[in-house]
Amino acid sequence: MNSLIKLTNISKSFGNNQAVDDVTLELNSGSVHALMGENGAGKSTLMKILAGVHQPDVGSISRAGEVVSLTSPKLALDFGISTVFQELSLLPNLTIAENMFLGREPKRSFGMIDTKLMESQTKAALAELGLTLNPSTLVSELTIAERQFVEIAHGIKADANIFILDEPTAALNAADVGMLNKHIRRMKDEGKAIVYISHRMDEIFDICDTVTVMKDGQHVATKSLSDMTPDSLIAMMVGRELEDLFPERSDAQGACLLEVKHFKLTSVSQPLSLKVHKGEIVALAGLEGQGQREIVRSLIGQHIPFGGTVRVKDHEISLPVAANNGIRQMSALGLGFVPEDRKDEGLFLNLPIADNITIGLHSTEGGLAPARKYREVIADTIKSMAIKTSSANASVASLSGGNQQKVLLGRYFASDVDLLVIEEPTRGVDIGAKAEIYKLLRQFTENGGGVLVLSRETIELIGLCDRILVIHDQTIVSEMVAADATEHNILDAALSSGSDATGSV
Amino acid sequence: MTATLKNILTGKNSRQGLWILPLIIVVIGFVSLSVSTEDFATSQNLSNLLKQAMPLIIVAIGQMIVILLGGMDLSVGSMISLTTALLAIDAPAVVTIPLVVVAAVMVGFINGFSVVRLNVHPIIATLSMQFIVLGVAKLIRPVAGGSVPEFLVQWVNGTIFGVSTVFLLTPIVILIGWKLIHGSRYGLHLFAIGGGAAEGQEDAAHNFGISDRRNIIVAYICSALFAALAGAFLAGRIASGDPNVGTIFALDSVTAVAIGGTQLSGGIGGLHGTLIGALLMALLSNGMNLANLSAFLQGSIKGGILLLVVALQSRKKMGL
Repeated sequence: MNSLIKLTNISKSFGNNQAVDDVTLELNSGSVHALMGENGAGKSTLMKILAGVHQPDVGSISRAGEVVSLTSPKLALDFGISTVFQELSLLPNLTIAENMFLGREPKRSFGMIDTKLMESQTKAALAELGLTLNPSTLVSELTIAERQFVEIAHGIKADANIFILDEPTAALNAADVGMLNKHIRRMKDEGKAIVYISHRMDEIFDICDTVTVMKDGQHVATKSLSDMTPDSLIAMMVGRELEDLFPERSDAQGACLLEVKHFKLTSVSQPLSLKVHKGEIVALAGLEGQGQREIVRSLIGQHIPFGGTVRVKDHEISLPVAANNGIRQMSALGLGFVPEDRKDEGLFLNLPIADNITIGLHSTEGGLAPARKYREVIADTIKSMAIKTSSANASVASLSGGNQQKVLLGRYFASDVDLLVIEEPTRGVDIGAKAEIYKLLRQFTENGGGVLVLSRETIELIGLCDRILVIHDQTIVSEMVAADATEHNILDAALSSGSDATGSV
Repeated sequence: MTATLKNILTGKNSRQGLWILPLIIVVIGFVSLSVSTEDFATSQNLSNLLKQAMPLIIVAIGQMIVILLGGMDLSVGSMISLTTALLAIDAPAVVTIPLVVVAAVMVGFINGFSVVRLNVHPIIATLSMQFIVLGVAKLIRPVAGGSVPEFLVQWVNGTIFGVSTVFLLTPIVILIGWKLIHGSRYGLHLFAIGGGAAEGQEDAAHNFGISDRRNIIVAYICSALFAALAGAFLAGRIASGDPNVGTIFALDSVTAVAIGGTQLSGGIGGLHGTLIGALLMALLSNGMNLANLSAFLQGSIKGGILLLVVALQSRKKMGL
């Protein structure tokens, strides 16, 4: 195996946040290299440096001993590095063919773009991946999976020999994952180097041969996967035993806080029902795009389900709730919603911590009521949640991800909600703050609250929650007690088609 | 085939936006005016109609280039006024015409530079430019007057081989616009940059290796040049310089582009839509003039139609 590219002693920081700290990584031809680590471990930043999106503060990238400078994504692609990022990078208003050739369109006479040539070559590149998409289709009409295949085809077309796949399967169903793995194996046989970022253990062990683990921006180890087991890999990622990360469960269970009955997301989906009791943390798990997000958002009126009823304490509400005041109706009943995208949907980034905490309290008052300062509430919240800040007047944007999340949770704790619906409670939060957030959530339930959690992180599901409801194809296919659940049987249930809906506990 | 038809009717899954609706309004307007008003369908009036529409068509093409990027150019009106003022100064055409071109390139460059380098919002950048350029135009020609080069007057109002020059000029301008927007790599890059901007991914096109900053500056220069061309046309028609003649075009050009189905967020639109939009506006004022409607009411009706047409095109037609 010969080395295709080497990143040496790379460091990169954003403001005070050291995203990547002195990492060295070598990619070999004919190898699928897994890059693992908790969210926020610096994997994506490192890959963005390789893809020319970010420039390293320190360190160099070299091929065959020669230092190369990748100052733009275009240069990186010309150099043979193709990236499929999590976020959208194709342009939705252009056709597949136009996206494939954007920036290097073939011309015919009078400076016209040679659409025919573009489309025939695109068709060939797609056919190589076994796709029969029409090259003149607009990208906005494609599914997420199709877009990812188009991005891979784009890399193949550009003759790349290094492919970076950043959580490529996050949005794919099992059949598409199988298809993707087939292509990855073929690219490997052709001598290309593939970097594979994923949180799914079975995939890692299935197709990768080498693994590099990162933690808090630093390189932990690079090992051959044949020497590893899933458990040893997790231990390496987390860097401590799981027991230390998660607080003790308590078995105090009280009255039912939230009950969802006869819920159908669409007219054809199977009905589901679920309950959240006082003192309980219940999780919705499952592969991406199985409807779990829509189920949660239906509760607060941001998604319109086919029908069902929700009972919050003694109030019964039939779905769909009104889109424009669903969330207000729910918060009046003591339900707080913590969205996944805390920067855009949760916090007012430019406002001080104080305002972000008290806005929940203010919203329960009339529009013309004098805005009380709530100084003690703010001071109490900052102290009890251990939010690290110099002043309550600092803008939330200046905080780290973990502290931002604590501010957001603090808003609901301060306004006395007793039911929290949380999407991804620790997304982009470092490991120390994660442990603190888990503890805060457990405290919340011990004081009589209930939590419904949506999470992609299996470790979190197992460690934090009391019960796990696995969603597949818009309904609950399995319910397990978290203490007995394993990564394997959660994934097993998530992949099942619902035929063994009795569960696998 | 039915899918294509459906896409045209709804404007969905198409990069051209919803242009069929204003076209239907144009056709209905045309037919009903032909039936109701006997002066309408005369060759004299139709030639007038095209002459009225011509300057707006030209400005709107330039405006559209900028809007496709997710920008906007409010300085085009003042640029038109400045052009007529410059053409009417007491100097030979070999001096005034290059002067107009230089002025347009400068105005467009400063607009583009303010947007991409100084990070000023396009509306503010071009609004500032609107005031600045209008001031210069009024300094040169405080009130309407002066005389523009004779050949320009003859050219605009005359005929070639018995055909009014407007009928020859219009296709040429449209062809240039089509080439820029739909027939070149530059045009595709415009859509790419605008598509990224509309999605909130400003770097998307840049990541494909498109020099977005340069393309944006070029777009504002094109817009100013089209405005100058419209100004030259107007100067020929009124045979003098007038610092107020362009004012109305700043917002009228945006209106024509918006009616034609181009999305103001960028990335979606078609030249034919803009032509239909400009034609609809010319048809409205022509028809309402024939029907002796108050000029004030005409403005209100124009606003109503804009609101109606744009309200019927739901934004985010591209899905997502």
